[in-house]
Amino acid sequence: MSFRVVVGQGSCGIAAGANKVYDALAEQLADSAVGLGIAGCIGMCWLEPIVDLYEDDTLTMRLVRVGKADAKAIADACKNGDLSALSALAITEEDAAFLTEQTRIVLRNCGIIDPESLESALQAGAYTALKKVLAEGDGMSPEAVIACIKESGLAGRGGAGFPTWFKWNAARQSPGEEKYLICNADEGDPGAFMDRAVIESDPHALIEGMLIGAYAIGAKEAVVYVRAEYPLAIKRLLNAIAQAKAAGLVGENILGSGFSCDFRVKAGAGAFVCGEETALIESLEGKRGMPRLKPPFPAAAGYWQQPSNINNVETFANVAWIINNGGAAFAAMGTERSKGTKVFALTGKIKRGGLVEIPMGRTLRDVIFGIGGGIRDDKAFQAVQMGGPSGGCIPADLLDTVIDYQALAATGAIMGSGGMVVMDDSTCMVAMAKFFLDFTADESCGKCVHCRIGTKRMQEILSRMTEGKGKEGDIELLEELCVAIKDGALCGLGQTAPNPVLTAIRYFRPQFEAHITEKRCPAHACTALLQYRIDADACKGCTLCAKKCPVQAITGDVKKPHIIDQARCIRCGQCKAGCKFNAITVA
Amino acid sequence: MQCECAKQSSDLSLMKDVLETYGAVPGSLITILQQAQAIYGYLPMDVIYHIAEQTGSTPAKVLGVATFYTQFRFQPVGKYLIMLCNGTACHVNGSERVAQAICEYLEISNGGTSADGLFSFSIVACLGCCSLSPVMMINEETYGSLTPEKAVAVLKEIREKEAAVQ
Amino acid sequence: MSKMITVTINDKVCTCEEGCSILQAAAANGLEIPNLCNDESVKVYGACGLCAVEVVDDGSGKGIPKLLRACSAKAVDGYVIRYDTERVNRARKIALELLMSDHTGDCVAPCSLNCPAGTDCQGYVKKIAQGDYHGAVEIVKEKLPLPASIGRVCPHPCEKQCRRGLVEEPISIAFLKAFAADRDLEQDTYRAACAAESGKRVAVVGGGPAGLTAAYFLRRKGHAVTVLDAAKKMGGMLRYGIPAYRLPKAVLDREIEEIAAMGVTMQNGVRLGEDITLEQLRSEYDAVILAVGAWRSMQMGCVGEDLEGVIGGIEFLHDISSGEGALPDLRGKSVAVCGGGNTAMDACRSAVRCGAENVYVIYRRTREEMPADPLEIEESVEEGVIYKYLTNPAEIMGENGKVTAVRLQIMELGEPDASGRRFPVPVEGKFETLPVDMVIMAIGQKLSPKGLDGVELTKKGTIAADEATFVTNLPKVFAIGDATNRGADIAIAAIGEANRCADVVDSALKGKLSPVRKPFLSKRQVTAEMLADREKIARCKMPARDAAVRRRDFDEVNLGLTEDIARAEAKRCLECGCHDYADCKLIRYANLQEIHPERLAGAKNTHEKERKLVCIERDNGKCILCGLCVRSCEEDAKQGILGLVGRGFTTVIRPEFLDRATVEVCKTCGKCVNVCPTGALKLLD
Repeated sequence: MSFRVVVGQGSCGIAAGANKVYDALAEQLADSAVGLGIAGCIGMCWLEPIVDLYEDDTLTMRLVRVGKADAKAIADACKNGDLSALSALAITEEDAAFLTEQTRIVLRNCGIIDPESLESALQAGAYTALKKVLAEGDGMSPEAVIACIKESGLAGRGGAGFPTWFKWNAARQSPGEEKYLICNADEGDPGAFMDRAVIESDPHALIEGMLIGAYAIGAKEAVVYVRAEYPLAIKRLLNAIAQAKAAGLVGENILGSGFSCDFRVKAGAGAFVCGEETALIESLEGKRGMPRLKPPFPAAAGYWQQPSNINNVETFANVAWIINNGGAAFAAMGTERSKGTKVFALTGKIKRGGLVEIPMGRTLRDVIFGIGGGIRDDKAFQAVQMGGPSGGCIPADLLDTVIDYQALAATGAIMGSGGMVVMDDSTCMVAMAKFFLDFTADESCGKCVHCRIGTKRMQEILSRMTEGKGKEGDIELLEELCVAIKDGALCGLGQTAPNPVLTAIRYFRPQFEAHITEKRCPAHACTALLQYRIDADACKGCTLCAKKCPVQAITGDVKKPHIIDQARCIRCGQCKAGCKFNAITVA
Repeated sequence: MQCECAKQSSDLSLMKDVLETYGAVPGSLITILQQAQAIYGYLPMDVIYHIAEQTGSTPAKVLGVATFYTQFRFQPVGKYLIMLCNGTACHVNGSERVAQAICEYLEISNGGTSADGLFSFSIVACLGCCSLSPVMMINEETYGSLTPEKAVAVLKEIREKEAAVQ
Repeated sequence: MSKMITVTINDKVCTCEEGCSILQAAAANGLEIPNLCNDESVKVYGACGLCAVEVVDDGSGKGIPKLLRACSAKAVDGYVIRYDTERVNRARKIALELLMSDHTGDCVAPCSLNCPAGTDCQGYVKKIAQGDYHGAVEIVKEKLPLPASIGRVCPHPCEKQCRRGLVEEPISIAFLKAFAADRDLEQDTYRAACAAESGKRVAVVGGGPAGLTAAYFLRRKGHAVTVLDAAKKMGGMLRYGIPAYRLPKAVLDREIEEIAAMGVTMQNGVRLGEDITLEQLRSEYDAVILAVGAWRSMQMGCVGEDLEGVIGGIEFLHDISSGEGALPDLRGKSVAVCGGGNTAMDACRSAVRCGAENVYVIYRRTREEMPADPLEIEESVEEGVIYKYLTNPAEIMGENGKVTAVRLQIMELGEPDASGRRFPVPVEGKFETLPVDMVIMAIGQKLSPKGLDGVELTKKGTIAADEATFVTNLPKVFAIGDATNRGADIAIAAIGEANRCADVVDSALKGKLSPVRKPFLSKRQVTAEMLADREKIARCKMPARDAAVRRRDFDEVNLGLTEDIARAEAKRCLECGCHDYADCKLIRYANLQEIHPERLAGAKNTHEKERKLVCIERDNGKCILCGLCVRSCEEDAKQGILGLVGRGFTTVIRPEFLDRATVEVCKTCGKCVNVCPTGALKLLD
């Protein structure tokens, strides 16, 4: 009987201290028979750092919220072969349900295999699909690969949901010697981290999917465009490519099939718009990431004006599974129009936030209140933001909406790349709309008029609402701008920028009206609209608030009720935070 | 006429290897700029002109690319670069108050460098650690589940460590 | 040769080569789909969004749901395309509003904007600076046909708004105009060409500035125009209201001759209601313009106004200027002129010239509030006029039915009212008696409604005319000038109305009456601080005859600017208006529909003008980031000197030079300036 200790080392695990736990364990386990390894991200971010204990390759215990102080106990238990002492650290059944409720295809190996070891990936079945495709004699033709993907119903997971086979086929049919396969790993949606998790945790899944895609369209070169903000992902991806190349899985004459494909990794440099495929191509070519006019589409003239195909990480990570299990098996999951599974990054005011992969067709309620365990601190659910700055918010009475492309689009939101940010009633939806417009206005490349000036104007209107300077007619003006920008913007960033505002107005109009007509923020979130008051009955005259106030806005005699000078108050809230008698109210 | 770069005098020989490796590879401008920033800590104007000259491009084009991406800086930064995430999750969980606390502690605003030259602060797009929100990165290190107090404590600790070294 | 295909654009069947864009297909067939970022010399870019079109039928009987950018979308055989649908218009309108909301510049200089006739002051001042006086007059005559006269008498609202005033003093715009016009009249006088005869006939009643201007512009448009005037000669108030020492009759005669020489028929001594009726005119002509003026002085309503020796200012000036009979002999007399406007000035200075010993101006406020031109006040003081500020006639006293004195109520200025204006109030019980032989009432004018049977009047007794079309209640009858609506105003205001009215009448004669629309113009705020770096150069002084001499006759006071003075003065112009206004695509498209960018007002990119290119001035405030200059520099000129810097809303275009040699390239190229659709780029001389 031998034990192996595996520390989850995704970015969030590391941020939570997994590195330190690993180092402490290494020290404790030095000179022992107990193995120590790393894994990527299992996706249960609220429990990080996570340490898995394997007994003869079987997961026997999952320890959560592990600190470096726990290292000795863990090491001792493993050395002794008695884990009972660790039960306090073990994951609860309730938390464990987070995983058992999911169906993991994309995330199949995440948090399980060692992302820095090809060996580990091969053991988990990596490259079997590639071997199947390239097998001598009974392999698959590129057309057969495309047919299989067509049968699966796989659609682009980056947000738009365009059928993958169609793009592959277009690139395949497009005349040209040089063709390129590009992976969009420029995961820029604030609130989304699925792609990072996949690359950090299972880079070979991406490489294998891309190799099959390259084979299908006839590309000899594959490029991965990764956000520069993901240093660990870049490191692991480069490592995986080198390993695969050494093993003959990447490069010239792969597996002796005559198919060759080289990989390159390009780091982005910080521009959300580069998630748009033509902007991404411009950036790959070393230029300003400004979208090109379409047509021509990349399938006809993309990277260096050659036929190119671009898919995102999650799309590629599905491919090997589909080849191995058949298109029909994939299509068996999901709804009539949306097939397979989708990965979401569940965050915000949620009890259990992390990576969730579920078959299409489950409801938002399943995800938020089932897998996610509901709202943190048992507050009231207000809305969920789907698809980040390109998507929209969905209110409580639409929680039973099923997750499929069309159903989500009908709400005004979108499937998006998978960001799912949950908001409770302490979130002001006007401020939220402003937040997204701050983002899109800031990220606008500036090429087209509608996006460059239009999003700026929307952002200004929303800003003045949150500052109590909203004007009669502002809501209508916003709506007019929304329609115009959707119609007139050049690329996806601009065309979808109005979505958060349109949905917020559609479902939370009274909040907008309260900001404008009553100069009031119902969620008490917009600082400029707050009023702090001291309840004279509750105030004991302890003078603490007056001392805390940074602008001397509070006056009063000792042991007498104090008052706040509203003209001087800067609404910092320090008085309220400091009051021991709950005498200060905010409205 | 030669603009501000005439005033600067960066050691351009440091760029030799980078330009030899990437100078002739089409589409490598962003990579070259990233490497240059790694060398100098930022992108000095004379380096931008040098890159233009050595790659057969023009200063306007190189500057155009450099100023398009938020990663590139045109002023030297402090020893520690604090990047505070303002992604949706971090925003919802109070990154704004963290930003305020950091700015107050360092007596700078977003984009600034502290008087002692130790810290530069910038609010950035999503770092992708949403479950630990609010999050900040200081150089390569990530700090999660921040509160205003916790963030300031981290900075204090670094400052003390630096003071001890000297 | 490639295959030809057919598309329908805005109902026009267009043939074009297969593979060309919708924009090219339209252009090849003489249709202009608005666009700002496209040029044949560079690749398609797709930034401005103005060229949005709707494919209402893609050949299958159904349209394409999305709007297409005509610059990039290919024309496909059988497409039915429109760029005038409601959706397209709305999209274009908002694109223009967005662009304008971040466009900082002055289409037109503030002087022009403040001129009631909209004369292009900056344009002709520049011509004068260059020494091209005929050219200057050509520009003036686009708006007003009497520059020598108006240049002498106009109270020049243009100069009030002249930005040079923020540096030291405004440009002497009016006198420059008179200077250029005098030179032009000397020889090779500029005469505008007239359009082919339209066959339409227009009668203009009244030969004053309004009537003459209306006649002039209608004649230019090819209509047969007859001006009818009750007086012996044409000129109206310019002849009979303004004394010769300000406007010599010979100058006026020359300018009227010019109008007549264009083929305008002039009939004097024809009085409406006596010699001809409005009814007759309406039946004989295709249109009638009433420009009859306001020829009666208003009365004050004080006791003694009916005494002999009390006369209206208008009537007094008419007697002097008519040339009928001798000048009134006022030698040894004392004259009181009541009022503080320009008529009062003309009256008091004329009284001096008629030999009066004492001439008083009775005005109930102080000099600061006086509407008259300060220069005229100054000159009249030089000529001996005595000002009785803060006085008001309470009673005109007389003996034997003749004026002997005027009793003045002493006034003081009260507290400022809501508008900040201090109203005069009587100081109770304080009076002064001024012995005079004559009282001239110059407190306002009114219309004589004679001959205007059937014409609807306002409560004030003026002709009611529509502000935008000048139409009266009678079909085919239009009305302009002092006789209408708010009543008498300065000549240039009447001229502006006349010009606009000519456009309306022309449109009506061509079948569809279209009202005057005030064009949308981009404007910016300029403060003295922004001009602090300008060198201070004093305003020129008009050489004038000595007061002691000039007060004895009616010869012209001013001697006229010399060429040196005029050209130096003209060179002081800051050239506030956009050099590219006439060719600016942005403003032309902005005026295709009504736009209201102010509703989208917000942050603006305000940049100071940059002269980094040495030979090319770049005004990033006017830049709309269409990228044409950058692309033209790279793709057409193969230089890459210009580049976009930054991103999003704050993107700017900036040149970066590798060395001095690149600067030299710019001096001979100028391609960026040519493709710029706005006035952001300007070649420096």
